[in-house]
Amino acid sequence: MRRFRFVLGRLLQTVPVLFVVLLLVFALLHLAPGDPARTLAGLKATEESVEAIREEMGLNEPLIVQYGTYVGNVFRGDLGESTVSSKPVTTIVRQRLPVTLWLLAGGAIVGTTFALLLAGLAARRPDTWIDHIVRGISTVGLGMPVFWVGLMLILLVALPTGWFPVGGFPDGLAEQVRAMVLPSLTLGFALAPVQIRALRSSLAQVYDSDYTMAARSIGVSETRLLWRHLLRNAALPAVTVLAVQMGSLLFGAVVVEATFALPGLGQGLVQSVSRRDFPMVQGVTLISAVLVLTAHLLADAAYAALDPRVEV
Amino acid sequence: MATPVAEGRALTRTRTRLGRKVNKKSERRAFIIGGAIVGAYILAALLAPVIAPFDPNKQDLFNALQAPGGEHLLGTDSVGRDTFSRLIYAGRVDLPVAVIAALLPFIIGTVIGSVAGYAGGVGDSILMRIADSVQAFPIYVLLLVLVFAFGQGATSFILAATLVSWVAYARLIRGEIIRAKQLPYVMAAKTAGLPHSRIIVRHILPNTIGRSIVYAMSDIVLLILALASLSFLGVGIPAPTAEWGRMIAESQIYLRSHWWLLVAPGLAIVVLGIGLSFLGDALDQRTRR
Repeated sequence: MRRFRFVLGRLLQTVPVLFVVLLLVFALLHLAPGDPARTLAGLKATEESVEAIREEMGLNEPLIVQYGTYVGNVFRGDLGESTVSSKPVTTIVRQRLPVTLWLLAGGAIVGTTFALLLAGLAARRPDTWIDHIVRGISTVGLGMPVFWVGLMLILLVALPTGWFPVGGFPDGLAEQVRAMVLPSLTLGFALAPVQIRALRSSLAQVYDSDYTMAARSIGVSETRLLWRHLLRNAALPAVTVLAVQMGSLLFGAVVVEATFALPGLGQGLVQSVSRRDFPMVQGVTLISAVLVLTAHLLADAAYAALDPRVEV
Repeated sequence: MATPVAEGRALTRTRTRLGRKVNKKSERRAFIIGGAIVGAYILAALLAPVIAPFDPNKQDLFNALQAPGGEHLLGTDSVGRDTFSRLIYAGRVDLPVAVIAALLPFIIGTVIGSVAGYAGGVGDSILMRIADSVQAFPIYVLLLVLVFAFGQGATSFILAATLVSWVAYARLIRGEIIRAKQLPYVMAAKTAGLPHSRIIVRHILPNTIGRSIVYAMSDIVLLILALASLSFLGVGIPAPTAEWGRMIAESQIYLRSHWWLLVAPGLAIVVLGIGLSFLGDALDQRTRR
């Protein structure tokens, strides 16, 4: 019951945050220098079409009314129309979102697996050469630009072997999986250093705990100890770190999609930015904020479900 | 009151060394390696006109796409500009922009956070809700969008970074100040009747600013990566200014034939990142001691 109340409370906390998020996305249009109507109409618009947009969008109304209208539209599922393709933003988002979600999932799996392996090795023998190497890897990894890692994978893996395409998203499931391998690796490598740092310290803590000593004293094997007892306790921080990293992961996805020419939301965002397609930029920004908020909520809910000690 | 996600945020940022003693020798080593690398970059940027053999923006179409070695140490790009000279001049862009983009939110966030934490009340609650909302955004996506809204260039990047990341500093120092408020030395200062501003600036801040400085160090690395990424995407530093991310973007089509054009600027970023991380680690260990 208490846990249910915790999740409900977290959900209610999110509501005001959502309104401020909407306010910030709404304000984007007015932060840009110049006339919002002209910004919306695009660079080549005539004076008449600018005026028409001003009327249609109610840009003559007071700001507070405009904000109200914007919020109302968003809740009805209307994110406006792309000024480049004249399609509704929601349609474009629906087309592009799956690619991004696949990429995020792939990156999260690669990054977490990689981090669990390395952090497990390091935490078991703190301050030995293994530990130093693992920490070295995470320090170097932290300083590597995501797009550069992607390009290096193309240069060192895709071009010499020909196993993977250097970019694009073909039809057919098998081809699509193949096209996602290198992008997922790239995103995973970007995520792993932070995960390694967090997991190493939480695993080291579990290795130091009383129950580890108890398990060892009754003769539990080291392998069984790691898999049955330690990882379970270290898994929760891994989930949390993943949720906290969701924001960086999304930006990573933007960059990776641009590097590998994947038709996801991130590539859509970059293209809209260069074409000054404001409704699209606003829509994608809003969607990514909602993704982050959802990830945080899910992580807190997962915590409440897995760890009976959680209370707020 | 901290939710698991809020705690996790702390976990990703602070480099906890549980179960091991702070090692003085490793701190010194990290400081020397990091200091040497970062020092070399700063020196190279300052002395760029002396070190660089060529004008970084001088085009020489007859000598375009030369391989490394010979007259051009690292070869030339598609319009014949000397890669080595451009690498060195790029340090004059990336380094100061990232440092200012970390310093401004550090100052603004620390001022707002310490006043809110010290005073408490309604202002404090409002600050925390604003912080929640800003941090709900994926910050680098927001950075990208803001740079787009303000228009390309270094000023936009700094402005956007300040808008996005002052909340992190405000949050950090607020927490530290709330903890420090209950400590005897602050109470003693209050009982002695010192003005609030003096208590914050002279007594609390010197004892609590350490973590913020460490955070700022790791932020500089992330900002250099963000600036390079934005320039790679075509919304950061506009052409023809030499900037590492932009150099990679401009040479992307030559990946197959002239890979060194992409490898060199990438390595320039990676090595600087390693140097800054080492410095940050050393500082971190020092503040924990």
